[in-house]
Amino acid sequence: MKTALPEDIAEFAAVAGKRLARFGGVQAALRAETEDQLRHDARTALSDLGAFELDVRGSTEDLLAAAVLCQAVGATALPYPLVDELLAIDGARLALVNPATPRIDHGDLAGDWIATDLDGARYQVRPSTRTAAKLGPFLVPATLSQADGTVSAADVDLHLTLGSWRIVGAVQQALEITRQHVVARMQFGKPLAEFQAVRFTIADASVAARGLYELAKYTISRMESSPAQVRSADALVLRLKATDTARQVFRAAHQLLGALGFCDESDVSVLDRHTQPLVRLPVSTEALAIRLLPDVRSDALETLFSEPVAAEPV
Amino acid sequence: MDYDLGTDAAELRTRLRDLISTHIPEGFLGACTDDPKDLATTESFCKMLASDGLLALAWPKEHGGGGGSVWQQTVLREEMWAHHEPRGAQYMGINWVGPALMRYGTAAQKDRHLSAIAAGEVIWCQGFSEPEAGTDLASLRTRAVRSGDGWQITGQKVWTSYAQMASWCVLAACTDPDAPKPKRLSLFLVPMDRAGITVRPIRSMLGPHHLNEVFLDGVEVSPYEVLGEVGDGWRVMREALAFERVGIARYARCESLLHRMQTELGDDWNTLPESIRTRWVRALIDLRIARLLAYRAVSLQDDPTAGGAASAARIATTTCDQQVAELLFDVLGPSALDSGMSAPLHGAIEDHWRYAQAATVASGTIEVQRMLVARETLGDH
Repeated sequence: MKTALPEDIAEFAAVAGKRLARFGGVQAALRAETEDQLRHDARTALSDLGAFELDVRGSTEDLLAAAVLCQAVGATALPYPLVDELLAIDGARLALVNPATPRIDHGDLAGDWIATDLDGARYQVRPSTRTAAKLGPFLVPATLSQADGTVSAADVDLHLTLGSWRIVGAVQQALEITRQHVVARMQFGKPLAEFQAVRFTIADASVAARGLYELAKYTISRMESSPAQVRSADALVLRLKATDTARQVFRAAHQLLGALGFCDESDVSVLDRHTQPLVRLPVSTEALAIRLLPDVRSDALETLFSEPVAAEPV
Repeated sequence: MDYDLGTDAAELRTRLRDLISTHIPEGFLGACTDDPKDLATTESFCKMLASDGLLALAWPKEHGGGGGSVWQQTVLREEMWAHHEPRGAQYMGINWVGPALMRYGTAAQKDRHLSAIAAGEVIWCQGFSEPEAGTDLASLRTRAVRSGDGWQITGQKVWTSYAQMASWCVLAACTDPDAPKPKRLSLFLVPMDRAGITVRPIRSMLGPHHLNEVFLDGVEVSPYEVLGEVGDGWRVMREALAFERVGIARYARCESLLHRMQTELGDDWNTLPESIRTRWVRALIDLRIARLLAYRAVSLQDDPTAGGAASAARIATTTCDQQVAELLFDVLGPSALDSGMSAPLHGAIEDHWRYAQAATVASGTIEVQRMLVARETLGDH
């Protein structure tokens, strides 16, 4: 068993982190709310990293590289729909939507879009305009056609999984910002980090973030080898845990940063606001849990005691 | 990345499950029950494991072990705990007393004890906690006073698991109260039938044998019974306990209980309230994470700076224990309180709930684990 990222992937992750920091990090995402050019520059940064040459459907190594790139994108709230473009079909970005209330992050960017729901129903998309929302400032309400085909379950699973890696990056960055704050911030004559209540909150957030990261690595490592039902259950499991963890860690971050955490001059505020579409869409964690109920019975949600799930005939 | 445990580990899992289904009776809930047959079951099972080189799987072959890989050891931990630890009280000797002897013991101590532990012939207990010192072990008050060549030990230990059935004890005592805290303690290897030792069981919700008081009244020990250097007990203790820092594979029993309960319910599972079934989903997810954190800690076990990974794994798995205990009690409703062979899963769920209360206390409280994770994340403050 090898639980660490391969060396070349870890190196790529470091390079990606540096390039996106040079782009401007989280504060560039804030400026992009009003300066549209920055979203185009974000694409250039991704292009410099070779993002759009990654074959996430066909190459295990490319999929891993895409995962750590998504992690870096999540850590900086990079204002660009990377996952949708990595999974483009015939040149049209693929959005994962809830057909009851279709909204697409960055759906106003030029170019073609199509959409899928969690069941793999495919829709043509007519995006409207941004609503200047505080939570998800790049969200665009959209109108969907009647379902006109299907998107493969594998693509839906990839969308959920790579989106979860973005959340992993956001969670890790929120925790790091909070760590730096409690070590530096003095109250009652000593750093916040000396108060046990603060230390325990950080410990719990750290355990949650570590657990999510291990789950993310495990999920991506077996996407190509698992039977389809297991792969789909894995993707839902990861997304459910990612959104739960994001809520826990951002809550801890806001609490420990105090009023500063609500201000856009703090990266936590921007990260949280910009990550909300991933946390809330396409459906709530409760809805994700309900979707997993049949997988408990079928053993697609694997445990140490599951009967092996047979691979579906090709 | 590769999360495959390997063929040898997978084969071991199959072999252990076969052995358990053949030799462990239906409804077995561990050695610590009111039925003396359960203790006998663990004794014969241990000897069988020992004869196959599986009892001390992790040990080097030169000491009577099986020379197993870390992933085989992981599978052994999972399967034993999932099936109510049919090794009974042996795991303490196997998991840390033996490894500590290998590192710090004299040649005579190794000769005397290691082969007996590897053969499953002897039960050890751990005389650390005292009424005034539980988590803060450096503050122990039990005194070892020089007596001729050796020592005379007086004091009291508490919460000592298996003390009634153990034939040997690793006993921590203060040999120099004036020394700096890390240099006050020494460890002694003491037979439990030595004059001056009295064991009193403590009734508890965990069941018999789990908790005992041990009174020490002028217990004579020889200089040959000191483990490691005199005054070095604190370091030996910390390093010895690090041998099992990944801890018990509690997630494995939780996964087993959920699996057995689901099988027992059959299609009735679908009629459970949706809120219960979604908690079930979340429990399975949290158990998967606890397992992955444990695997991460195992893969880093040779890295002395990676203690936080083990603490994170322990926090995750101990909290899962209690989460699953509450979930299964809510599934069962009033019958959750029943025990014995006629109870749901032969009382395994009732047993699990009781034992889960100790999960975040035993072998290092969850508060200590949080302190260790915080120290790694924030540094010393």
